[in-house]
Amino acid sequence: MRPVIVGIVTALVLCAAIFLGSRGLHNFDSALAPYAIASVFLAFGIAYRYMVWISSPGARRLFRKGWGAALSWQNLRRTPTALPRMIATYLGFQKFLGARSRSRWAAHQLIFWGCLLAAAITFPLTWGWFTFTANTGAGPQYTMNIWGFGVVKFDALSVLGWLLFHGLDLAAVLVIAGATYFLIRRMRDREASTGQRFGYDLVPLLALIIISVTGLLLTFSSVFLHGGGYEFLAVLHMAAVVLTLLYLPFGKFFHIAQRPAAVGMQLFKYTGHGEIRQCRNCGEPIDTTAYVDNLRATMRDLKLDFDSLAEVCPRCKRLRRGQAYRTTVKPGF
Amino acid sequence: MMGRTIVIDPGRCIGCQACVSACRECDSHRGKSMIHLDYLDQGGSVASSPTVCMHCEDPVAPCAQVCPAEAILVTPDGVVHDADKSRCIGCGNCVNACPMGVPKIDLEAKLQFKCNLCYDRTSYGLAPMCATVCPTGSIFYGTLEELRAERPGVEVASTFDFDGSIISTGVAMVVPKGRPDQPLPGGAGEHARVTGSPQPAGHLEPSADNVLGEPL
Ligand code: HEM
Ligand code: SF4
Ligand code: SF4
Repeated sequence: MRPVIVGIVTALVLCAAIFLGSRGLHNFDSALAPYAIASVFLAFGIAYRYMVWISSPGARRLFRKGWGAALSWQNLRRTPTALPRMIATYLGFQKFLGARSRSRWAAHQLIFWGCLLAAAITFPLTWGWFTFTANTGAGPQYTMNIWGFGVVKFDALSVLGWLLFHGLDLAAVLVIAGATYFLIRRMRDREASTGQRFGYDLVPLLALIIISVTGLLLTFSSVFLHGGGYEFLAVLHMAAVVLTLLYLPFGKFFHIAQRPAAVGMQLFKYTGHGEIRQCRNCGEPIDTTAYVDNLRATMRDLKLDFDSLAEVCPRCKRLRRGQAYRTTVKPGF
Repeated sequence: MMGRTIVIDPGRCIGCQACVSACRECDSHRGKSMIHLDYLDQGGSVASSPTVCMHCEDPVAPCAQVCPAEAILVTPDGVVHDADKSRCIGCGNCVNACPMGVPKIDLEAKLQFKCNLCYDRTSYGLAPMCATVCPTGSIFYGTLEELRAERPGVEVASTFDFDGSIISTGVAMVVPKGRPDQPLPGGAGEHARVTGSPQPAGHLEPSADNVLGEPL
Protein backbone atom coordinates (compact mmCIF):
# COMPACT_ATOMS: atom_id res chain seq x y z
CA MET A 1 0.00 0.00 0.00
CA ARG A 2 2.75 2.43 0.95
CA PRO A 3 4.49 2.21 -2.43
CA VAL A 4 1.20 3.06 -4.14
CA ILE A 5 0.62 6.08 -1.90
CA VAL A 6 4.15 7.38 -2.34
CA GLY A 7 3.79 6.84 -6.08
CA ILE A 8 0.55 8.82 -6.24
CA VAL A 9 1.96 11.64 -4.12
CA THR A 10 5.03 11.87 -6.38
CA ALA A 11 2.85 11.97 -9.48
CA LEU A 12 0.67 14.71 -7.95
CA VAL A 13 3.73 16.77 -7.02
CA LEU A 14 4.89 16.56 -10.63
CA CYS A 15 1.42 17.60 -11.85
CA ALA A 16 1.54 20.62 -9.56
CA ALA A 17 5.04 21.50 -10.78
CA ILE A 18 3.87 21.25 -14.39
CA PHE A 19 0.89 23.47 -13.65
CA LEU A 20 2.94 26.13 -11.89
CA GLY A 21 5.95 25.99 -14.22
CA SER A 22 3.77 26.42 -17.30
CA ARG A 23 2.04 29.45 -15.73
CA GLY A 24 -1.24 27.67 -15.17
CA LEU A 25 -0.91 25.68 -18.43
CA HIS A 26 -0.66 28.94 -20.35
CA ASN A 27 2.66 27.82 -21.85
CA PHE A 28 1.67 24.16 -22.07
CA ASP A 29 1.92 22.77 -25.58
CA SER A 30 -1.04 20.45 -26.02
CA ALA A 31 0.63 18.72 -28.97
CA LEU A 32 3.14 17.39 -26.44
CA ALA A 33 0.50 16.30 -23.91
CA PRO A 34 1.04 12.53 -24.39
CA TYR A 35 4.70 13.00 -23.41
CA ALA A 36 3.75 15.00 -20.34
CA ILE A 37 1.15 12.43 -19.29
CA ALA A 38 3.68 9.63 -19.76
CA SER A 39 6.13 11.52 -17.54
CA VAL A 40 3.49 11.65 -14.79
CA PHE A 41 3.08 7.88 -15.02
CA LEU A 42 6.87 7.61 -15.00
CA ALA A 43 7.02 9.57 -11.75
CA PHE A 44 4.46 7.21 -10.25
CA GLY A 45 6.32 4.14 -11.55
CA ILE A 46 9.72 5.18 -10.25
CA ALA A 47 8.47 6.14 -6.81
CA TYR A 48 6.39 2.95 -6.56
CA ARG A 49 9.21 0.70 -7.72
CA TYR A 50 11.72 2.47 -5.49
CA MET A 51 9.55 1.93 -2.42
CA VAL A 52 9.11 -1.75 -3.25
CA TRP A 53 12.84 -2.07 -3.73
CA ILE A 54 13.84 -0.50 -0.42
CA SER A 55 11.33 -2.57 1.50
CA SER A 56 13.61 -5.64 1.34
CA PRO A 57 15.88 -5.90 4.39
CA GLY A 58 19.19 -5.58 2.55
CA ALA A 59 18.17 -2.49 0.60
CA ARG A 60 16.32 -0.88 3.51
CA ARG A 61 19.28 -1.08 5.85
CA LEU A 62 21.69 0.18 3.22
CA PHE A 63 19.29 3.00 2.31
CA ARG A 64 19.28 4.20 5.92
CA LYS A 65 23.02 3.84 6.40
CA GLY A 66 23.80 5.42 3.05
CA TRP A 67 21.64 8.49 3.60
CA GLY A 68 22.82 8.67 7.19
CA ALA A 69 26.42 8.87 5.97
CA ALA A 70 25.56 11.31 3.19
CA LEU A 71 23.63 13.72 5.42
CA SER A 72 25.80 13.51 8.52
CA TRP A 73 27.19 16.85 9.70
CA GLN A 74 30.23 15.13 11.09
CA ASN A 75 31.11 13.57 7.75
CA LEU A 76 30.48 16.82 5.94
CA ARG A 77 32.89 18.63 8.23
CA ARG A 78 35.55 15.94 8.14
CA THR A 79 35.48 15.20 4.41
CA PRO A 80 33.48 17.94 2.71
CA THR A 81 34.53 16.89 -0.80
CA ALA A 82 33.81 13.17 -0.50
CA LEU A 83 30.16 13.28 -1.53
CA PRO A 84 30.40 15.65 -4.51
CA ARG A 85 33.51 13.85 -5.71
CA MET A 86 31.84 10.47 -5.56
CA ILE A 87 28.77 11.78 -7.33
CA ALA A 88 30.99 13.01 -10.14
CA THR A 89 33.21 9.94 -10.48
CA TYR A 90 30.59 7.21 -9.80
CA LEU A 91 27.43 8.66 -11.22
CA GLY A 92 28.65 11.15 -13.81
CA PHE A 93 31.79 9.63 -15.25
CA GLN A 94 31.25 6.03 -14.10
CA LYS A 95 34.96 5.60 -13.61
CA PHE A 96 34.52 2.05 -12.31
CA LEU A 97 33.22 0.94 -15.71
CA GLY A 98 36.69 1.59 -17.11
CA ALA A 99 37.94 -1.24 -14.91
CA ARG A 100 35.55 -3.60 -16.74
CA SER A 101 36.62 -2.48 -20.18
CA ARG A 102 37.44 0.83 -21.75
CA SER A 103 35.03 0.42 -24.63
CA ARG A 104 32.13 -0.46 -22.32
CA TRP A 105 32.92 2.69 -20.36
CA ALA A 106 32.99 4.79 -23.53
CA ALA A 107 29.76 3.31 -24.89
CA HIS A 108 27.97 3.83 -21.60
CA GLN A 109 29.19 7.41 -21.40
CA LEU A 110 27.72 8.05 -24.84
CA ILE A 111 24.35 6.64 -23.79
CA PHE A 112 24.44 8.42 -20.44
CA TRP A 113 25.30 11.91 -21.69
CA GLY A 114 23.06 11.50 -24.72
CA CYS A 115 20.05 10.57 -22.58
CA LEU A 116 20.84 13.26 -20.03
CA LEU A 117 21.02 15.90 -22.75
CA ALA A 118 17.81 14.67 -24.34
CA ALA A 119 15.99 14.59 -21.00
CA ALA A 120 17.22 18.05 -20.05
CA ILE A 121 15.75 19.45 -23.26
CA THR A 122 12.57 17.44 -23.69
CA PHE A 123 11.12 17.15 -20.20
CA PRO A 124 10.99 20.92 -19.58
CA LEU A 125 9.59 21.44 -23.08
CA THR A 126 6.79 18.93 -22.65
CA TRP A 127 5.98 20.36 -19.23
CA GLY A 128 5.71 23.86 -20.71
CA TRP A 129 8.65 25.06 -18.63
CA PHE A 130 10.73 26.22 -21.59
CA THR A 131 9.27 28.43 -24.26
CA PHE A 132 10.79 30.42 -27.09
CA THR A 133 9.55 33.80 -28.20
CA ALA A 134 10.63 35.67 -31.30
CA ASN A 135 11.89 39.16 -30.53
CA THR A 136 11.26 40.56 -33.97
CA GLY A 137 8.44 39.17 -36.06
CA ALA A 138 10.01 36.13 -37.69
CA GLY A 139 13.44 35.98 -35.98
CA PRO A 140 16.29 35.22 -36.13
CA GLN A 141 16.42 36.84 -32.66
CA TYR A 142 14.79 34.65 -30.03
CA THR A 143 14.41 34.68 -26.26
CA MET A 144 14.38 31.46 -24.31
CA ASN A 145 12.06 31.56 -21.30
CA ILE A 146 12.14 29.30 -18.29
CA TRP A 147 8.93 29.22 -16.24
CA GLY A 148 7.87 32.24 -18.24
CA PHE A 149 10.91 34.37 -17.35
CA GLY A 150 13.17 35.44 -20.21
CA VAL A 151 16.57 33.87 -19.57
CA VAL A 152 18.72 34.03 -22.71
CA LYS A 153 18.45 36.00 -25.89
CA PHE A 154 20.10 34.36 -28.84
CA ASP A 155 20.44 34.37 -32.56
CA ALA A 156 19.01 31.26 -34.20
CA LEU A 157 21.95 31.25 -36.60
CA SER A 158 24.63 31.34 -33.89
CA VAL A 159 26.36 28.33 -32.37
CA LEU A 160 24.19 28.54 -29.25
CA GLY A 161 21.11 28.75 -31.42
CA TRP A 162 22.19 25.72 -33.43
CA LEU A 163 22.84 23.75 -30.23
CA LEU A 164 19.49 24.71 -28.74
CA PHE A 165 17.60 23.60 -31.81
CA HIS A 166 19.74 20.58 -32.66
CA GLY A 167 20.62 19.35 -29.18
CA LEU A 168 18.25 16.44 -29.63
CA ASP A 169 19.91 15.39 -32.87
CA LEU A 170 23.26 15.43 -31.16
CA ALA A 171 21.84 13.38 -28.28
CA ALA A 172 20.41 10.87 -30.75
CA VAL A 173 23.78 10.40 -32.44
CA LEU A 174 25.49 9.78 -29.08
CA VAL A 175 22.83 7.29 -27.98
CA ILE A 176 22.79 5.41 -31.28
CA ALA A 177 26.57 4.97 -31.15
CA GLY A 178 26.57 3.70 -27.56
CA ALA A 179 23.52 1.47 -27.86
CA THR A 180 24.73 -0.06 -31.12
CA TYR A 181 28.02 -0.97 -29.48
CA PHE A 182 26.19 -2.70 -26.62
CA LEU A 183 23.84 -4.45 -29.04
CA ILE A 184 26.74 -5.85 -31.06
CA ARG A 185 28.44 -6.90 -27.85
CA ARG A 186 25.29 -8.73 -26.80
CA MET A 187 25.32 -10.68 -30.06
CA ARG A 188 29.02 -11.46 -30.16
CA ASP A 189 30.43 -11.55 -26.65
CA ARG A 190 29.63 -14.47 -24.39
CA GLU A 191 30.34 -12.37 -21.35
CA ALA A 192 27.26 -10.32 -22.22
CA SER A 193 25.10 -12.95 -23.91
CA THR A 194 25.27 -15.65 -21.23
CA GLY A 195 21.83 -15.86 -19.67
CA GLN A 196 20.63 -12.71 -21.39
CA ARG A 197 16.88 -12.22 -21.65
CA PHE A 198 15.11 -10.43 -24.46
CA GLY A 199 12.82 -8.26 -22.34
CA TYR A 200 15.46 -7.36 -19.81
CA ASP A 201 18.64 -7.02 -21.85
CA LEU A 202 17.70 -6.38 -25.47
CA VAL A 203 14.51 -4.32 -25.23
CA PRO A 204 16.26 -1.35 -23.52
CA LEU A 205 18.88 -1.15 -26.27
CA LEU A 206 16.31 -1.54 -29.04
CA ALA A 207 14.11 1.11 -27.40
CA LEU A 208 16.98 3.61 -27.27
CA ILE A 209 17.85 2.97 -30.89
CA ILE A 210 14.24 3.21 -32.11
CA ILE A 211 13.67 6.48 -30.22
CA SER A 212 16.88 8.01 -31.53
CA VAL A 213 16.44 6.89 -35.13
CA THR A 214 12.82 8.09 -35.38
CA GLY A 215 13.88 11.36 -33.72
CA LEU A 216 16.62 11.90 -36.28
CA LEU A 217 14.21 11.04 -39.09
CA LEU A 218 11.92 13.82 -37.88
CA THR A 219 14.72 16.32 -38.41
CA PHE A 220 15.56 14.69 -41.73
CA SER A 221 11.95 14.98 -42.83
CA SER A 222 11.65 18.66 -41.96
CA VAL A 223 15.04 19.67 -43.38
CA PHE A 224 15.17 17.58 -46.55
CA LEU A 225 11.65 16.37 -47.31
CA HIS A 226 9.74 19.55 -46.52
CA GLY A 227 7.94 17.65 -43.79
CA GLY A 228 7.16 14.57 -45.87
CA GLY A 229 6.08 11.71 -43.62
CA TYR A 230 6.42 13.96 -40.59
CA GLU A 231 3.06 13.13 -39.06
CA PHE A 232 3.60 9.39 -39.30
CA LEU A 233 7.11 9.66 -37.88
CA ALA A 234 5.90 11.89 -35.08
CA VAL A 235 3.35 9.29 -34.01
CA LEU A 236 5.94 6.51 -34.22
CA HIS A 237 8.43 8.51 -32.19
CA MET A 238 5.86 9.42 -29.59
CA ALA A 239 4.71 5.82 -29.21
CA ALA A 240 8.30 4.66 -28.75
CA VAL A 241 9.05 7.30 -26.13
CA VAL A 242 5.82 6.81 -24.19
CA LEU A 243 6.24 3.02 -24.06
CA THR A 244 9.86 3.38 -22.97
CA LEU A 245 8.98 5.81 -20.19
CA LEU A 246 6.31 3.43 -18.92
CA TYR A 247 8.76 0.49 -19.06
CA LEU A 248 11.61 2.41 -17.43
CA PRO A 249 10.87 1.61 -13.76
CA PHE A 250 10.38 -2.10 -14.37
CA GLY A 251 13.36 -3.25 -16.39
CA LYS A 252 17.05 -2.66 -16.77
CA PHE A 253 16.60 1.11 -16.91
CA PHE A 254 15.70 1.07 -13.24
CA HIS A 255 19.44 0.92 -12.53
CA ILE A 256 19.40 4.68 -13.15
CA ALA A 257 17.42 5.02 -9.90
CA GLN A 258 19.27 2.22 -8.11
CA ARG A 259 22.89 3.09 -8.87
CA PRO A 260 23.13 6.04 -6.47
CA ALA A 261 23.00 3.38 -3.75
CA ALA A 262 26.62 2.68 -4.70
CA VAL A 263 27.55 6.16 -3.47
CA GLY A 264 25.65 5.63 -0.22
CA MET A 265 27.29 2.25 0.26
CA GLN A 266 30.79 3.53 -0.38
CA LEU A 267 30.27 6.60 1.78
CA PHE A 268 28.99 4.41 4.60
CA LYS A 269 32.10 2.22 4.38
CA TYR A 270 34.40 5.16 3.87
CA THR A 271 33.19 7.02 6.94
CA GLY A 272 33.40 3.95 9.18
CA HIS A 273 36.24 5.54 11.17
CA GLY A 274 38.72 3.17 9.56
CA GLU A 275 37.67 0.33 11.84
CA ILE A 276 38.13 -3.02 10.13
CA ARG A 277 36.65 -6.39 11.03
CA GLN A 278 39.19 -9.17 10.65
CA CYS A 279 38.56 -12.85 10.02
CA ARG A 280 38.13 -14.65 13.31
CA ASN A 281 40.20 -17.49 12.02
CA CYS A 282 43.13 -16.00 10.14
CA GLY A 283 42.99 -12.24 10.70
CA GLU A 284 42.53 -11.28 7.05
CA PRO A 285 40.53 -8.03 6.76
CA ILE A 286 36.89 -8.69 5.82
CA ASP A 287 35.27 -5.28 5.63
CA THR A 288 34.61 -2.26 7.82
CA THR A 289 33.22 -3.15 11.25
CA ALA A 290 30.07 -1.09 10.77
CA TYR A 291 29.45 -2.78 7.43
CA VAL A 292 29.82 -6.32 8.77
CA ASP A 293 27.49 -5.48 11.67
CA ASN A 294 24.97 -4.09 9.20
CA LEU A 295 25.19 -7.28 7.14
CA ARG A 296 24.72 -9.46 10.21
CA ALA A 297 21.60 -7.49 11.12
CA THR A 298 20.32 -7.93 7.55
CA MET A 299 20.90 -11.67 7.78
CA ARG A 300 19.02 -11.88 11.07
CA ASP A 301 16.11 -9.93 9.51
CA LEU A 302 16.01 -12.63 6.84
CA LYS A 303 16.22 -15.46 9.38
CA LEU A 304 19.57 -16.51 8.00
CA ASP A 305 20.78 -17.36 11.47
CA PHE A 306 24.30 -18.37 10.49
CA ASP A 307 25.16 -14.67 10.53
CA SER A 308 28.18 -15.15 12.81
CA LEU A 309 29.89 -16.79 9.82
CA ALA A 310 30.06 -13.32 8.26
CA GLU A 311 33.06 -12.80 10.53
CA VAL A 312 35.00 -15.60 8.92
CA CYS A 313 36.70 -14.85 5.61
CA PRO A 314 35.54 -16.79 2.52
CA ARG A 315 38.70 -18.87 2.33
CA CYS A 316 38.51 -19.91 5.97
CA LYS A 317 34.86 -20.87 5.48
CA ARG A 318 35.95 -23.21 2.72
CA LEU A 319 38.91 -24.54 4.68
CA ARG A 320 36.83 -25.22 7.76
CA ARG A 321 34.10 -26.96 5.78
CA GLY A 322 36.74 -29.03 3.99
CA GLN A 323 38.42 -29.92 7.27
CA ALA A 324 35.10 -30.90 8.82
CA TYR A 325 34.44 -33.19 5.84
CA ARG A 326 37.91 -34.67 6.23
CA THR A 327 37.57 -35.30 9.94
CA THR A 328 33.96 -36.42 10.28
CA VAL A 329 32.64 -37.56 6.88
CA LYS A 330 35.47 -39.28 5.11
CA PRO A 331 38.26 -39.39 7.67
CA GLY A 332 41.72 -38.64 6.42
CA PHE A 333 41.15 -38.82 2.66
CA MET B 1 19.47 -31.19 -5.39
CA MET B 2 18.83 -30.36 -9.02
CA GLY B 3 18.28 -32.94 -11.77
CA ARG B 4 21.51 -32.54 -13.67
CA THR B 5 24.00 -31.02 -11.32
CA ILE B 6 27.57 -31.07 -10.07
CA VAL B 7 28.57 -33.73 -7.56
CA ILE B 8 31.83 -33.14 -5.72
CA ASP B 9 34.01 -35.80 -4.19
CA PRO B 10 36.87 -34.07 -2.33
CA GLY B 11 38.40 -37.48 -1.67
CA ARG B 12 39.27 -37.79 -5.37
CA CYS B 13 40.77 -34.31 -5.72
CA ILE B 14 44.50 -34.34 -6.42
CA GLY B 15 44.87 -30.56 -6.35
CA CYS B 16 46.04 -30.36 -9.98
CA GLN B 17 44.34 -27.01 -10.71
CA ALA B 18 42.91 -28.24 -14.04
CA CYS B 19 39.44 -26.99 -13.01
CA VAL B 20 40.83 -23.58 -12.07
CA SER B 21 42.61 -23.25 -15.41
CA ALA B 22 39.57 -24.41 -17.38
CA CYS B 23 37.30 -22.02 -15.53
CA ARG B 24 39.67 -19.16 -16.21
CA GLU B 25 39.61 -19.96 -19.92
CA CYS B 26 35.84 -19.61 -20.20
CA ASP B 27 34.69 -17.05 -22.72
CA SER B 28 32.10 -15.56 -20.42
CA HIS B 29 34.58 -14.36 -17.78
CA ARG B 30 37.95 -14.44 -19.46
CA GLY B 31 40.96 -14.56 -17.17
CA LYS B 32 39.09 -15.03 -13.91
CA SER B 33 38.47 -18.31 -12.18
CA MET B 34 35.16 -18.73 -10.41
CA ILE B 35 36.09 -22.07 -8.88
CA HIS B 36 38.12 -22.21 -5.70
CA LEU B 37 40.69 -24.89 -5.03
CA ASP B 38 41.89 -25.02 -1.45
CA TYR B 39 44.70 -27.01 0.09
CA LEU B 40 43.07 -27.96 3.35
CA ASP B 41 46.05 -28.76 5.50
CA GLN B 42 49.13 -27.19 3.98
CA GLY B 43 52.32 -28.71 5.34
CA GLY B 44 50.33 -31.53 6.94
CA SER B 45 48.84 -33.48 4.04
CA VAL B 46 48.08 -33.17 0.35
CA ALA B 47 44.31 -32.95 0.91
CA SER B 48 42.64 -30.46 -1.39
CA SER B 49 39.07 -29.61 -2.23
CA PRO B 50 37.32 -27.71 -5.05
CA THR B 51 34.44 -25.34 -4.27
CA VAL B 52 31.82 -24.26 -6.77
CA CYS B 53 28.64 -22.35 -6.00
CA MET B 54 26.38 -24.84 -4.22
CA HIS B 55 23.23 -23.18 -5.64
CA CYS B 56 21.48 -23.09 -2.27
CA GLU B 57 17.83 -24.15 -2.46
CA ASP B 58 16.49 -23.86 1.07
CA PRO B 59 16.92 -21.21 2.30
CA VAL B 60 17.14 -20.15 -1.31
CA ALA B 61 20.39 -18.36 -2.25
CA PRO B 62 21.34 -16.40 0.89
CA CYS B 63 23.61 -14.32 -1.37
CA ALA B 64 20.60 -13.15 -3.39
CA GLN B 65 18.51 -12.52 -0.29
CA VAL B 66 21.02 -10.12 1.27
CA CYS B 67 21.82 -8.32 -1.98
CA PRO B 68 20.67 -4.70 -1.59
CA ALA B 69 20.54 -4.17 -5.36
CA GLU B 70 18.40 -7.13 -6.49
CA ALA B 71 21.38 -8.13 -8.59
CA ILE B 72 21.42 -11.91 -8.18
CA LEU B 73 18.84 -13.79 -10.22
CA VAL B 74 17.72 -17.33 -9.41
CA THR B 75 16.23 -18.98 -12.50
CA PRO B 76 13.46 -21.59 -12.21
CA ASP B 77 16.00 -24.34 -12.99
CA GLY B 78 17.59 -23.59 -9.61
CA VAL B 79 20.72 -21.88 -10.95
CA VAL B 80 21.89 -18.94 -8.83
CA HIS B 81 23.38 -16.51 -11.32
CA ASP B 82 26.32 -14.18 -11.05
CA ALA B 83 25.49 -10.53 -10.39
CA ASP B 84 23.69 -8.45 -12.99
CA LYS B 85 26.31 -6.07 -14.29
CA SER B 86 24.11 -3.01 -14.37
CA ARG B 87 22.83 -3.50 -10.82
CA CYS B 88 25.63 -4.88 -8.66
CA ILE B 89 27.19 -2.07 -6.64
CA GLY B 90 30.05 -4.19 -5.33
CA CYS B 91 29.00 -3.94 -1.71
CA GLY B 92 30.23 -7.37 -0.68
CA ASN B 93 27.06 -8.48 1.14
CA CYS B 94 26.87 -11.67 -0.91
CA VAL B 95 30.57 -12.43 -0.37
CA ASN B 96 30.24 -12.40 3.39
CA ALA B 97 26.75 -13.85 3.71
CA CYS B 98 27.52 -16.92 1.59
CA PRO B 99 28.18 -19.70 4.09
CA MET B 100 30.29 -21.61 1.56
CA GLY B 101 32.77 -18.83 0.74
CA VAL B 102 31.94 -18.65 -2.96
CA PRO B 103 31.42 -15.12 -4.42
CA LYS B 104 34.36 -12.82 -5.03
CA ILE B 105 34.41 -9.15 -5.69
CA ASP B 106 36.32 -6.83 -7.99
CA LEU B 107 36.45 -3.67 -5.89
CA GLU B 108 37.69 -1.50 -8.72
CA ALA B 109 35.01 -2.58 -11.18
CA LYS B 110 32.39 -2.66 -8.40
CA LEU B 111 31.30 -6.06 -9.53
CA GLN B 112 30.73 -9.42 -7.92
CA PHE B 113 31.58 -12.58 -9.76
CA LYS B 114 30.76 -16.13 -8.92
CA CYS B 115 30.17 -19.58 -10.39
CA ASN B 116 26.93 -19.75 -12.40
CA LEU B 117 27.19 -23.47 -13.17
CA CYS B 118 28.62 -22.46 -16.59
CA TYR B 119 25.20 -21.27 -17.67
CA ASP B 120 26.51 -20.64 -21.17
CA ARG B 121 27.26 -24.38 -21.43
CA THR B 122 24.76 -26.13 -19.15
CA SER B 123 21.78 -24.32 -20.65
CA TYR B 124 22.80 -25.99 -23.94
CA GLY B 125 23.25 -29.42 -22.36
CA LEU B 126 27.07 -29.31 -22.08
CA ALA B 127 28.91 -30.08 -18.86
CA PRO B 128 30.59 -27.21 -17.01
CA MET B 129 34.24 -26.51 -17.77
CA CYS B 130 35.53 -27.81 -14.42
CA ALA B 131 33.67 -31.12 -14.65
CA THR B 132 34.81 -31.56 -18.25
CA VAL B 133 38.52 -31.34 -17.43
CA CYS B 134 38.71 -32.88 -13.96
CA PRO B 135 40.95 -35.93 -14.48
CA THR B 136 39.84 -37.86 -11.40
CA GLY B 137 36.08 -37.37 -11.38
CA SER B 138 36.27 -35.25 -8.26
CA ILE B 139 33.90 -32.87 -10.05
CA PHE B 140 31.14 -34.84 -11.77
CA TYR B 141 28.27 -33.38 -13.78
CA GLY B 142 25.05 -35.28 -14.53
CA THR B 143 22.07 -36.86 -12.85
CA LEU B 144 22.28 -39.16 -9.86
CA GLU B 145 21.47 -42.11 -12.18
CA GLU B 146 24.34 -41.20 -14.48
CA LEU B 147 26.66 -40.98 -11.49
CA ARG B 148 25.51 -44.36 -10.20
CA ALA B 149 26.00 -45.93 -13.66
CA GLU B 150 29.67 -44.96 -13.37
CA ARG B 151 30.08 -45.58 -9.65
CA PRO B 152 27.59 -48.25 -8.55
CA GLY B 153 26.00 -47.66 -5.18
CA VAL B 154 27.59 -44.29 -4.58
CA GLU B 155 25.77 -42.08 -2.08
CA VAL B 156 25.49 -38.32 -2.07
CA ALA B 157 24.30 -35.66 0.35
CA SER B 158 23.06 -32.16 -0.35
CA THR B 159 22.30 -30.65 3.02
CA PHE B 160 24.72 -28.82 5.29
CA ASP B 161 24.62 -28.03 8.97
CA PHE B 162 26.02 -24.64 9.94
CA ASP B 163 25.94 -24.83 13.70
CA GLY B 164 22.24 -25.68 13.73
CA SER B 165 21.15 -23.90 10.53
CA ILE B 166 20.40 -26.42 7.84
CA ILE B 167 20.94 -25.46 4.19
CA SER B 168 19.98 -27.73 1.33
CA THR B 169 21.78 -27.16 -1.93
CA GLY B 170 21.46 -27.82 -5.64
CA VAL B 171 25.00 -29.17 -5.84
CA ALA B 172 25.75 -32.42 -3.99
CA MET B 173 28.74 -34.09 -2.37
CA VAL B 174 29.74 -37.73 -2.30
CA VAL B 175 29.53 -39.38 1.12
CA PRO B 176 30.80 -42.79 2.23
CA LYS B 177 28.45 -45.72 1.72
CA GLY B 178 26.26 -46.43 4.71
CA ARG B 179 26.69 -42.97 6.21
CA PRO B 180 23.49 -42.16 8.00
CA ASP B 181 21.27 -39.72 6.17
CA GLN B 182 22.36 -36.58 7.94
CA PRO B 183 23.57 -33.13 6.92
CA LEU B 184 27.21 -32.58 6.10
CA PRO B 185 29.13 -30.46 8.60
CA GLY B 186 29.37 -26.86 7.42
CA GLY B 187 32.49 -26.17 9.46
CA ALA B 188 30.89 -23.68 11.82
CA GLY B 189 30.73 -24.18 15.56
CA GLU B 190 31.89 -27.39 17.15
CA HIS B 191 33.23 -29.09 14.02
CA ALA B 192 35.35 -26.11 13.12
CA ARG B 193 39.01 -26.86 13.31
CA VAL B 194 41.20 -23.86 13.04
CA THR B 195 43.67 -24.31 10.24
CA GLY B 196 46.93 -22.49 10.25
CA SER B 197 47.43 -22.48 6.50
CA PRO B 198 49.03 -19.23 5.38
CA GLN B 199 47.08 -17.12 2.90
CA PRO B 200 48.42 -18.04 -0.55
CA ALA B 201 48.65 -14.43 -1.65
CA GLY B 202 50.18 -13.22 1.60
CA HIS B 203 48.57 -11.49 4.53
CA LEU B 204 46.75 -8.21 3.92
CA GLU B 205 47.04 -5.43 6.46
CA PRO B 206 43.74 -4.69 8.18
CA SER B 207 43.59 -1.18 6.78
CA ALA B 208 40.62 0.54 5.17
CA ASP B 209 42.45 0.65 1.83
CA ASN B 210 42.28 -3.12 1.60
CA VAL B 211 38.50 -3.35 1.89
CA LEU B 212 37.35 -0.14 0.22
CA GLY B 213 39.02 -0.59 -3.14
CA GLU B 214 40.25 2.89 -3.86
CA PRO B 215 40.96 5.21 -0.94
CA LEU B 216 38.96 7.92 -2.76
C1 HEM C 1 20.46 8.30 -18.49
C2 HEM C 1 20.87 7.42 -17.78
C3 HEM C 1 21.28 6.02 -18.16
C4 HEM C 1 20.91 5.22 -19.21
C5 HEM C 1 19.96 5.54 -20.31
C6 HEM C 1 21.63 3.97 -19.07
C7 HEM C 1 21.51 2.91 -19.96
C8 HEM C 1 22.17 1.71 -19.83
C9 HEM C 1 22.00 0.58 -20.70
C10 HEM C 1 21.09 0.52 -21.89
C11 HEM C 1 22.81 -0.41 -20.24
C12 HEM C 1 22.91 -1.82 -20.81
C13 HEM C 1 24.14 -2.09 -21.58
C14 HEM C 1 24.18 -3.54 -22.00
O1 HEM C 1 23.37 -3.95 -22.84
O2 HEM C 1 25.00 -4.29 -21.48
C15 HEM C 1 23.50 0.08 -19.08
C16 HEM C 1 24.42 -0.61 -18.37
C17 HEM C 1 25.02 -0.14 -17.21
N1 HEM C 1 24.79 1.08 -16.61
FE1 HEM C 1 23.59 2.56 -17.27
N2 HEM C 1 22.40 4.02 -17.95
C18 HEM C 1 22.21 5.26 -17.36
C19 HEM C 1 22.78 5.74 -16.21
C20 HEM C 1 23.68 5.03 -15.43
C21 HEM C 1 24.31 5.53 -14.24
C22 HEM C 1 24.11 6.90 -13.62
C23 HEM C 1 25.09 4.51 -13.79
C24 HEM C 1 25.99 4.48 -12.58
C25 HEM C 1 26.76 5.03 -12.05
C26 HEM C 1 24.97 3.39 -14.69
C27 HEM C 1 25.63 2.20 -14.58
C28 HEM C 1 25.57 1.14 -15.46
C29 HEM C 1 26.34 -0.06 -15.36
C30 HEM C 1 27.32 -0.40 -14.24
C31 HEM C 1 26.01 -0.87 -16.45
C32 HEM C 1 26.60 -2.24 -16.80
C33 HEM C 1 27.64 -2.01 -17.86
C34 HEM C 1 28.55 -3.18 -18.11
O3 HEM C 1 29.10 -3.75 -17.16
O4 HEM C 1 28.77 -3.50 -19.28
N3 HEM C 1 24.09 3.73 -15.68
N4 HEM C 1 23.09 1.39 -18.86
S1 SF4 D 1 26.76 -21.26 -2.22
FE1 SF4 D 1 26.94 -19.07 -1.74
S2 SF4 D 1 26.97 -18.08 -3.75
FE2 SF4 D 1 26.13 -20.15 -4.07
S3 SF4 D 1 23.89 -19.91 -3.86
FE3 SF4 D 1 24.68 -20.46 -1.84
S4 SF4 D 1 24.98 -18.46 -0.85
FE4 SF4 D 1 24.83 -18.05 -3.03
S1 SF4 E 1 28.28 -7.26 -4.25
FE1 SF4 E 1 26.76 -6.95 -5.87
S2 SF4 E 1 25.72 -8.93 -6.05
FE2 SF4 E 1 26.82 -8.96 -4.10
S3 SF4 E 1 25.32 -8.25 -2.60
FE3 SF4 E 1 26.45 -6.42 -3.25
S4 SF4 E 1 25.27 -5.58 -4.94
FE4 SF4 E 1 24.52 -7.67 -4.62
